Amino acid sequence: MSVILQAEKLCRYYRRGSETVKALQELDLTLHKGQIISIVGRSGSGKTTLLNQVGCLDTPTSGRLIIAGTDVTALKEKELEHFRRNHIGFIFQLFYLIPTINVLENVELPLVFARRHNRQKVLEVLELVGLAGKEKLLPKQLSGGDMQRVAIARALINNPKILLADEPTGRLEKEEKAPIMDLFQQLTKEGLAIIIATHDLAQARYGERILELKDGRIIAEHSPETIVRLRG
Amino acid sequence: MGVWFGLAIKNLLRRPTRSILTILGVTIAIAVLYSLLQFQVNYEKGLKKELGALGAHVMVVPKGCPYEAATIVLHGGKWPRYMDEAVLEKVKSVPGIAQTAGIIMDAILDFEKNENRIFMGIDEDYPKIRGNWHVQGSWFTGAKDEIILGENVAKLEGLKVGDTYYLKEKDCSFKVIGILAATHSQDDGFYFLHRKTLQKVFDLPEKLVVILVKLADIEQADKVVAKIRTMDGNLNVFPLSELLSTVGNLVQSTNIFVLAIVFIAIAISAVGVLNTILMAVYERTKEIGMMKAVGASRSDIFKLIWLETLVVCTTGGLFGVGLALAFAKVIESFVRSALPYASRSEALIGLSLSDSLACVLFSVVLGLIAGWYPACHAASVKPMEAIRTE
Ligand SMILES: Nc1ncnc2c1ncn2[C@@H]1O[C@H](COP(=O)(O)OP(=O)(O)OP(=O)(O)O)[C@@H](O)[C@H]1O
Ligand SMILES: [Mg+2]
Repeated sequence: MSVILQAEKLCRYYRRGSETVKALQELDLTLHKGQIISIVGRSGSGKTTLLNQVGCLDTPTSGRLIIAGTDVTALKEKELEHFRRNHIGFIFQLFYLIPTINVLENVELPLVFARRHNRQKVLEVLELVGLAGKEKLLPKQLSGGDMQRVAIARALINNPKILLADEPTGRLEKEEKAPIMDLFQQLTKEGLAIIIATHDLAQARYGERILELKDGRIIAEHSPETIVRLRG
Repeated sequence: MGVWFGLAIKNLLRRPTRSILTILGVTIAIAVLYSLLQFQVNYEKGLKKELGALGAHVMVVPKGCPYEAATIVLHGGKWPRYMDEAVLEKVKSVPGIAQTAGIIMDAILDFEKNENRIFMGIDEDYPKIRGNWHVQGSWFTGAKDEIILGENVAKLEGLKVGDTYYLKEKDCSFKVIGILAATHSQDDGFYFLHRKTLQKVFDLPEKLVVILVKLADIEQADKVVAKIRTMDGNLNVFPLSELLSTVGNLVQSTNIFVLAIVFIAIAISAVGVLNTILMAVYERTKEIGMMKAVGASRSDIFKLIWLETLVVCTTGGLFGVGLALAFAKVIESFVRSALPYASRSEALIGLSLSDSLACVLFSVVLGLIAGWYPACHAASVKPMEAIRTE
């Protein structure tokens, strides 16, 4: 299996007044193509910080991050914008769909920013996530699960290599969660690598590896078969 | 570009009331600006036209405020100072003068009805100076009870040639011997008596209010004016070209004041725009963070927010010009009641492509400026922080 992402001694410190919050400490991580890694941990353990780092939304305090053979820590902001657009897709707990435009337009948005136009691709991706026929609906007309599907389609539209999902099922009804996780699993078949941050151990089980964070460090690795509770 | 535009407009439609109120602010400011621009041009144009129609180059009046004198001459009215008729003969004797006309005027003012009847005492010299005078009926024959009516007066009083006009205030009856064909000037609103008749009826024996002078050669104006001035120290002698520039200066100074108010209105509307757009940015911080996470660059976000501001301001600009035109009559009557010398022959606020364009362009610039800060603010949103805060 080929490596798509490699983090070495990744650190991210925040200054909060006079104290320093070590949100991520010397974290090493390797992600392969077609792999799902789940990140678990209590609130404030650094899950979101980790996703922001590997998603190039934020620059690390120290450490190295190599994605698809590129050392992204060396990139300038403009290059980073471009790199992110072509390699990373984001999915958020709160979907963040634009309420005034329809499903199709929401999914098309990254293409607009990338100055690409590909209506065919939009329709394909919508089909892939199971939203065929709902193109013209507004976000408020959709169920939570469908809203997250729109967000997933939007994340996939630029053909990213890595999908980063922060609590993707956090706001979904119980019965909506599994289908979304199944969709993630289906997406890895094409080689997509996914990192999912979650509180929810049931969802974490979809990961090939389950890493537990505490105070910005990986304190344990669980296996999907055996995980029953967090160590931290 | 269409997609960006659609996004901007849809964003504004999320808070329709707020957006409409903001646009309204710009609309009003631009309407005032357009009115002022138009007023500036047309006011002077109207004044020039009226002075041109007057047919005279130089005005001789008794000493007093020259602006007041100008108003009297242009619009008629009661003039408290008189000069002796003898002055007319003296003026006539000055070389370089082609034509003179001595005029006596009086008015009967009815404040209750807000009705002014302006009586003008003239002789055969007056039509010669005015040029386009065509009287239907006949000219004064020398009888003491003859009156010629301006076109509008005749309509207003419902009188025809041959009818009798009774002047209640003076207990006098006049025979309407002629009606002046429309001149499209203030003459249409006057009651004309022979000079001698007016002097008698209004008890102003051998008095004059103004002498209009037409020169043989306009280039000689300075010489002639100087000559008349040295002749009689109790006269105000001024060339109308000079009047035009002094009135122009007067208008200019009031314009600066009005302009200051316009700019305050514009500044207020600009702050309104800034506030609205900034609030819209704050409300959408997370959404902007998301857009950056899915590939929007700083300049994309800047562009989007700037576009929203431009839509607000340009719409306001277009509506503003429309509003100014729609309410032109109302604004005009207000301005007329507040300002002297406003010509009636020229609309003060009319349709002007260049002024409309200037106003819309101005509103675009306003948008560019007002949108700068909110757009910068939005562009610098950090996706991570925006999405994090819950
Ligand atoms: N921008 C920031 N400025 C200061 N401190 C921050 C910032 N972002 C995160 N932190 C801190 O870093 C630590 C890790 O936060 P992070 O959001 O990564 O945790 P998390 O595991 O995602 O928590 P949750 O499960 O609640 O989402 C926390 O102590 C948090 O307060
Ligand atoms: Mg988090």
